[in-house]
Amino acid sequence: MIVIQKKVCLLGDFSVGKTSLVRRFIEGRFDDKYLSTIGVRISRKTLQRSNGTLNLLVWDLAGAQEFNTQASYLVGVAAALIVCDMTRRETLVSCAKYVQQVRAMNQSALLVFVGNKVDLVGESVSAEAELRACSETQGGDYVLTSAKTGVGVDLAFELLARKIEAPA
Amino acid sequence: MDSSRTRAAAAGMNQADEDLESLLAALHATLGDDDDTRLLAVEQQLRLIQFQAQSQSEALQAEVRELRAELEKLRWSTHDNENFGRDLENRLNILGHRVQASGDSLLGMTELIHRTVLDSRDDMAEALGPVMGEAIRVQVRDSRQEMVEALYPVIGESVQRSVVEAFRELQRNIDARLKAVIGPRSVWRTIGARLRGVSPAQLALRDALPFSVQNIFLIQHGSGLLLAQSQAGAQVVDSDLVSGMLTAIRDFVHDSFGQDQSDKELDEIQYGNQRVVVQSGQVVYLAVLIQGVEPEGFRTQLHGFVSDLHVRHARVLREYSGDPAALPDLQPKLDRLGADLADLATQKPMKLVGRRTMIGASLIGLLLIAVACFYLQFTFALLPVAFPGPTATATATAMPTTTPTIAATATAEPTATATPTSLPTATMTPTPTAVSGLPVTGLTSGNVWVRPQPDRNAPLIVVLLKDTPVKIVSVYGPWAELEWSGVQGLQRGWVPLPWVATLKSIPSDLVTPFPTPAP
Repeated sequence: MIVIQKKVCLLGDFSVGKTSLVRRFIEGRFDDKYLSTIGVRISRKTLQRSNGTLNLLVWDLAGAQEFNTQASYLVGVAAALIVCDMTRRETLVSCAKYVQQVRAMNQSALLVFVGNKVDLVGESVSAEAELRACSETQGGDYVLTSAKTGVGVDLAFELLARKIEAPA
Repeated sequence: MDSSRTRAAAAGMNQADEDLESLLAALHATLGDDDDTRLLAVEQQLRLIQFQAQSQSEALQAEVRELRAELEKLRWSTHDNENFGRDLENRLNILGHRVQASGDSLLGMTELIHRTVLDSRDDMAEALGPVMGEAIRVQVRDSRQEMVEALYPVIGESVQRSVVEAFRELQRNIDARLKAVIGPRSVWRTIGARLRGVSPAQLALRDALPFSVQNIFLIQHGSGLLLAQSQAGAQVVDSDLVSGMLTAIRDFVHDSFGQDQSDKELDEIQYGNQRVVVQSGQVVYLAVLIQGVEPEGFRTQLHGFVSDLHVRHARVLREYSGDPAALPDLQPKLDRLGADLADLATQKPMKLVGRRTMIGASLIGLLLIAVACFYLQFTFALLPVAFPGPTATATATAMPTTTPTIAATATAEPTATATPTSLPTATMTPTPTAVSGLPVTGLTSGNVWVRPQPDRNAPLIVVLLKDTPVKIVSVYGPWAELEWSGVQGLQRGWVPLPWVATLKSIPSDLVTPFPTPAP
């Protein structure tokens, strides 16, 4: 049985819900108490795939207020989830800078853009359109999620896993 | 009073004005035109003065009014103050009564609280606990120094006691180990410690804090991906997470404190009695979880391993992206490293120089033992010469008279055996065999060499000292075969017959015929 390990990083502005997404994905639960992540929190999710086991080592990085402060955590990144808050447009604008940061470490890093807190915005067509435009520009897919309800969370990581498995 | 004065002054001024008008009219009537003009000027000046005086009067009146109003206010204020003072006095009286009443009830409350505290200590503690905790936290935040000073007598003493107890425990441990190794093993251990380049005390300390390798992680730099793991101790919760977090911690420390020192890295993390020793390479690094004091050469071995790994597999290790198929088989190497480190802890292989020293020391030791044995044997052999025993001396006094007689008897023997001259093979007979009678006892008459055969060319065996008690086993020509009790038990050998003194003559059956050449 082949066990493949991949380093996956979650990036985004503070309070966009990165830790909640990881908690929902790995532990299957949601906690509405907000505790700011300091530094980094590492988790592991083992996915059984048709051709073996995929170990996703998920690095949940602290929300950056200044860019390039956590560059060393991105060394060896295979894929990244760029998370933004659909209720705060400015977090979507920051996505481009995170992409730049990831690309600086790994030019071929795989990206999935996640628009979180979709349960709070209802049918916000304009925000989704902006997210889609961003993902198309930066060369990645996008998923709308809600860590609170669980909508789209597994899909986001599944999408990432498929991109990792897909031959280069 | 002031107002009446003011009114009187105003009335006076009006009267003066009227008088002035009438005076001016009279002057107009009496004076000419020229004078009339001058009079008009004077009149104007007078009117001006009058106007000024009137203005001043009005200003004074206004000021008087203001002063009067202020006076009125002050009167009211004084009145109010008097009322306020009275009111305050009343209130103070009321408060005094209340305080007295509260004091009485407070005494009752204090007693009640005291009784409640005594009756339900647990409930009180539970109720006050969170408040106390919060209060202490706030106090620590706001007045840290005061809190430290206040708590030091308690906490400082407790910490001191704990440290002392820990040291005592360590001392007991070392003492026990030192006691356990007193004896032949201690000598060997001391030699071993010296050969390993450490003092016996250091060795004892290492024994007291035994070294062991719990886990070895081989981790890729930056990504924190685990390449291989060798485990000898307790199971690590999740080695993937451990390797990731170790990497994150190293990166964090480097980013935070080592910005100006790019070559400096975190090389050790301590947790309780366990330590994570990090040996860093360019592409990968080793994290070794150990306990106790690491032996000499530990770091060198880690460094050698990492260097060797980089020399052999640098490219593969650098390009590793999580697929183990691309990696060489690192597990056996890591296991071997673990075994080597464990061996290092138990017994360090001796270096060539040390081995040679050890062999040389052993040989010298053996040589010294041999010399000592020889010296002892020689000393024992010469002991009777240095310290002659009383018995031997007594016997020796009898010798001078007997020796000539014996010697005379001995010299007579050759004649007795002169007859078998025709035997050409007489040399074959030295071995005396005809011993049928009882052996004759005697003493050596001087220090004499003993030979294995009755021949002057035979090798010398040992020196028989003077007055050594001997038994004459046989006689062959001028030789006597003696038996005596030596260091190695009963011994036999040949000495010239004149050196043996006996009290009685040698029986003929002890004498072997001695071949003499034919005349």
